[in-house]
Amino acid sequence: MPKRKLDPLPSAAFQILLSLADDELHGYAIMRQVEEQTGGRMRLGPGTLYSSIQALLEGKFIEEVDGPVDPRLQPERRRFYRLTSAGRRLARAEAEKMADVLRVARARKILRGDYV
Amino acid sequence: MSEKMYARLLRLYPSAFRKEYQCEALQLIRDRARDETGLFNRVRLWWDLVTDILTGLPQAYGNSYAVPDAAPQSANAQRVPSFKVLDREPLRPGLILVAGTLSLAAAAAFGFLLSRPIAYLPLPGSNGRMSPIEAVLQRLNRAMDPDSAMGGHRAVATAVSTGTSDPQARPSAMATASAPKPYALALRAENKNGVGMGDRVVPIQMQNLHEQSAERAMAQRAFEAQPQREGQREVGASGNALANGVTDNEHLDSAERQRVLDRAIANVRQYYFDRDIAKNTADKLLAHEKAGDYDAVTDGAAFADLMTRQMRDASGDMHLMMEYSRDKLPDGPPAQTPEDLARFRAFLEQNNCFFRKVEILPHQIGYLKLDLFSEPSICRPTAVAAMAQLNNAKVVIFDLRDNRGGAPDMVSLIASYLFDHPEYWYSPRSAPAEDSWTRSPVSGNNLADKPVYVLTSGSTWSGAEQFSYDLKMLKRATLVGEMTRGGAHAGVFHRIDDHFGMGIPEEKTINPFAKADWEGVGVEPDVKVKAAEALETAVKLAEARLRKP
Repeated sequence: MPKRKLDPLPSAAFQILLSLADDELHGYAIMRQVEEQTGGRMRLGPGTLYSSIQALLEGKFIEEVDGPVDPRLQPERRRFYRLTSAGRRLARAEAEKMADVLRVARARKILRGDYV
Repeated sequence: MSEKMYARLLRLYPSAFRKEYQCEALQLIRDRARDETGLFNRVRLWWDLVTDILTGLPQAYGNSYAVPDAAPQSANAQRVPSFKVLDREPLRPGLILVAGTLSLAAAAAFGFLLSRPIAYLPLPGSNGRMSPIEAVLQRLNRAMDPDSAMGGHRAVATAVSTGTSDPQARPSAMATASAPKPYALALRAENKNGVGMGDRVVPIQMQNLHEQSAERAMAQRAFEAQPQREGQREVGASGNALANGVTDNEHLDSAERQRVLDRAIANVRQYYFDRDIAKNTADKLLAHEKAGDYDAVTDGAAFADLMTRQMRDASGDMHLMMEYSRDKLPDGPPAQTPEDLARFRAFLEQNNCFFRKVEILPHQIGYLKLDLFSEPSICRPTAVAAMAQLNNAKVVIFDLRDNRGGAPDMVSLIASYLFDHPEYWYSPRSAPAEDSWTRSPVSGNNLADKPVYVLTSGSTWSGAEQFSYDLKMLKRATLVGEMTRGGAHAGVFHRIDDHFGMGIPEEKTINPFAKADWEGVGVEPDVKVKAAEALETAVKLAEARLRKP
């Protein structure tokens, strides 16, 4: 069921998975991270962000964790998310698919070899 | 402010989503608003939010929001039964308000449409309050009689029925004196709204239309449209000599009273079918005159009413009557044109000759709702087709609850299907003649021996009463419903002057069943129920009867 929902993987969900590759993040941090890793092209709004998070949670690709409790730095309680191993596999599979696409694009001289 | 707006927009999302993420979503907006300052950034922020609300919707609705199953697992581990509660959000007051308002608006709109009877047959010149039948009728009258638009014949009916408080003195129809035989019954068919004169009949004005008389009038009109026969008597002419005496003033003086009385006595003597009764009646009227019974009567309607009662007392004949019209009784309408006839034919055809429903109900119960016995020269094929459709029924229910009569020939045509031999078909309007028998058997017809139920109401009238009465008296049908309205219309109309006319039975009719017909009293049903429940009752009776071996 979740597989169907995330197959093909929407780019928002893929970016969220990527953003969580290194660190556990809360929603806003994910949004910022995605913005950064896409060079500002993708700014996830709350609707898309949390819908995607919910879908990924349901697919067990990410999970919710207790964030660091530091009332000084984080006065509000926030939910943090962490990539699961399944999530990591999914992100890798997606990245490999993209790499394939990239190879084809290079072979067809759409992309130059030295780029990326 | 902006947050509130966003919270409203979030209502587009599933409630489970809002429950789970609303705080986070608002927190995210606060975070962005804190970090992104400046006009450009703010505009971009709101642009992002609005587009995001829309683009995130499909995904949000695609999620299942299932509760993670960690909790049940732990519960099971402790071997404690657990129950999940389906948490459904109650309807919000705003939603109830909107839905309620929409429902009310829809109901009101539906009611409004229903209350516009003209809608399905729009006619130019109609004022929107008339029924389609009335509108057609008005147009026919206008086309026929342009002069009468000013109301020359107006209120004939109203005036005619004035002051008839005595139930025995109900306004009843009179007919023309010189009807050609095949149409005699039809010509005599009419009623307080249209008063026949000589071989012509006054056009019906809309102001005069009482109750549901439009169909009757239409039927009447068709009969009148038949070519006139030679040798017709011009009975009304005898009264025309006196026509100019009475003014529109309803107060009578003695000279006018005398003139009307003389004319009435002469008419009774001349036309009433029974010489002895005629003489007796005339003598009684003269005696009343001598006794000075009329001297104090200065009101036309009261005078007519009084004379009616006295003539009925003297003769014992309910069809003998004097009627008064406040407005001038017209000399006669212009002739009917072929266009009028064509329009009338189209009108009947549009209404399927008033065969409103022909159905086979469960258990092979045939059901025919007929609202008018239409002119057979136009409607015979429709009638034959309707009866053929019922041919395999085991029981037939005739629904005459909204039937006001019509053409006697159609009444007898339909009755012909219910007998396997010619049956004497009593009419209160004519003496037995060749056409007084049903044309039974009808070839290919299977209904001659099937049980018949007739549904009646307080508005079942005239020809429909004849159908009910005869079938009841012949023990051929069970009548279910209410007492009928009571109009036999046996009198022939004689114009006396501009305001007075009288109904005189000219032929001795033979009622094989009883001394009196249903004039003024109605036909009594075998099973008395409210008209609205008649169909249901008849169906139950029919089903019970079919169950019997």
